[in-house]
Amino acid sequence: MRRPKALLAALLATVLFGTGCAAGPGAAADGPVRLLVFGAPEELAAYRTLIEAYGQAQPGNEVQLIEASDRKDLLARLATSVAGGAPPDLFLMNYRFYGQFAAKNVVEPLDERIAASERVNPADYYPVAVEAFTWGGKQLCLPQNVSSLAVYYNRTLFAKYQVPEPKAGWTWNDMVGTAIAMTRDDRGVVVKGTESEGAAARPAVHGLGVEPSIIRVAPFTWSAGGEIVDDPDRPTRLTLDTQAGREALKNLVDLRQAYGVVPTDEEVEAEDDESRFANGRLAMLMSSRRSTTTFRSITGFEWDVAPLPVYQDQVGVLHSDAYCMTRGAKRKDAAWRFLEFAISAEGQQIIAATGRTVPSHIGVSQSPVFLDPSQPPRNAQVFLDTVPTLRTLPTISTWPEVEDVTAGILENALYRGDRLDEVIRALDEQTRPLFARGEHG
Amino acid sequence: MLAPYLIGLVGLVLFPAAVTLALAFTEYDLVNPPSWAGLANVSELVTDPVFRVALTNSLVFALVAVPLRVLLALGLALLLHRRSFGARPARVAALLPTAVPEIAYGLLWLWLFNPLYGPINQLLRVGGENGLTVLGRTPPQWLTDPTDARAAIILMSVFTMGETFVVLLAARRALPADVYEVAALEDATGWDVFRRVTLPLMAPVLALLVVRDLIASLHFSFVPALVVTDGGPPPYATTYLSLFIYRTGFEYLRYGYAAAATLVMMLLTVAAVVVQWRLFRRYRAFYRL
Repeated sequence: MRRPKALLAALLATVLFGTGCAAGPGAAADGPVRLLVFGAPEELAAYRTLIEAYGQAQPGNEVQLIEASDRKDLLARLATSVAGGAPPDLFLMNYRFYGQFAAKNVVEPLDERIAASERVNPADYYPVAVEAFTWGGKQLCLPQNVSSLAVYYNRTLFAKYQVPEPKAGWTWNDMVGTAIAMTRDDRGVVVKGTESEGAAARPAVHGLGVEPSIIRVAPFTWSAGGEIVDDPDRPTRLTLDTQAGREALKNLVDLRQAYGVVPTDEEVEAEDDESRFANGRLAMLMSSRRSTTTFRSITGFEWDVAPLPVYQDQVGVLHSDAYCMTRGAKRKDAAWRFLEFAISAEGQQIIAATGRTVPSHIGVSQSPVFLDPSQPPRNAQVFLDTVPTLRTLPTISTWPEVEDVTAGILENALYRGDRLDEVIRALDEQTRPLFARGEHG
Repeated sequence: MLAPYLIGLVGLVLFPAAVTLALAFTEYDLVNPPSWAGLANVSELVTDPVFRVALTNSLVFALVAVPLRVLLALGLALLLHRRSFGARPARVAALLPTAVPEIAYGLLWLWLFNPLYGPINQLLRVGGENGLTVLGRTPPQWLTDPTDARAAIILMSVFTMGETFVVLLAARRALPADVYEVAALEDATGWDVFRRVTLPLMAPVLALLVVRDLIASLHFSFVPALVVTDGGPPPYATTYLSLFIYRTGFEYLRYGYAAAATLVMMLLTVAAVVVQWRLFRRYRAFYRL
């Protein structure tokens, strides 16, 4: 009896060892190219459309879409797959978050492939997006889009309440005034949202939706003539204690605390801003192009986009994602072929048609595929007009931590009304160690 | 017979745990080879305010949730151990939440806790006016108030005491009937029977379950905190050690630092087990068990 048991034990040990050490599925060099992305169902559908088109354009070249649930899940999956020796061949990531992988040599430089490519010419792409993905003088990723922050607004509601629509050159005060005029109760009467917490009159429509985050504060700080960090290339601290920074921060907090035009934290938890807008309960929403795919399913009202309001100068903040190849990719040549297709005019037209992106390819961005007035937003030109004014956030390796830490502090400032001096002090104190630990490109 | 289990235990649990603990003394980012860092990670933990909050949250969670879970399971076991009308469906109902996958369970509670549209707060508003409860108070802000959010995570954990309930149910049913007959002959009250008969006889099982629950409590707060509250509301109201370790290791690529936090978590577990074991031995000596 002892021998069969020993054999069984040995067999189990072998299985355990084998399953533990084997590469994950699809890691074989002859399998499909694996592309790791995250996004809303509409965005994922756009990537599936792209992959399908690639399969038709180049039969026999398969791409497998690996879907992460959100940005954090994508980061975790990428890190663990790299550590496990079975990374995806390609991944799509925002420039704000790729720094930690770039600093650790996870991303394959693409300069040589770009130089040898007949399909990719860097001059065809918006420089601001291309430069956002250079690290240590090397081109690590190639941008899929050149999105930026814009103000989505419900045209039908504006017409109903006879409030003038936002237009280029409008100021922050114009935006606040508009948001106040659009914050209404269920009878359509203007109400002050600050009186709504725990009281009878919750606004049926809020004037504005804005996320309390450093990426929302940045463009207004810049517009007011300030900076958000002491050195954009090698930041060591946040500089929201300057006059411009304080002004931008205070005005953001006042949206909830003084005017009540943005929903309370309770209301945001109950229904996020994007859903609130799609359900016709938010007059304006500050968001990037990402929201367009979701909003194109809206049938109950008309909507459009307007540029960000200004303080002194028109300044936008870059929201750009790029395709990056992992250094440990098993199928680099096949991955590069897909990458070439995805960022080529043909590939970008496919994604642009879904509404997901502001194409990084200049020609495609100026074509009817993107500017098609029959598809909302009618004023898509807003995104292109903003491109020359776009600035980038630091790509320091610890930037994801900076965003997470600042988000909590800003959330309490907006919804709880924490004292401004305390907020600025906390932002500075809690982010200094993160900047000190960060690596720069 | 034990060989397969031992191989699995060593290969899948003990060896990875030992490696993780060794990594606590290194600088390791999951990508590049680890480099020796000595006690740098541990000393950084001491001054890390987020770690301190996570540690406090975990301890408070364990101190509140574990007794609640065990007491509820014990109460239900004592209530439902007899064959009576409705006992069987009630037992199934008590066990059912344990069978729901964790993520699905979290998403379900996310809906239940929705501050405006969730059924819990809708129910609490019944009879009240202007969105307030019948007592004129604001319903709990499950997802936006730090204290209420901590209570929400504890509430979620309380309903997953199914395993504890089943073990206690079996333990209660295994108690000898003649002891209770003697107690009845001596006109012992229900409370006396519970205090002098049931509790001492079930104490070994209870102690084991408390130890097990205490150990488990350090990680079963992970999914609720990740799915329902995302570690918030700020600042870090429901960031427990498990979530802190996950974020530090896998989102910020500081695996060495996360391993140091894991080391602290394991030391805490060992300390808790030792303290409970000593208390249990005193209890046994007192009752001469």
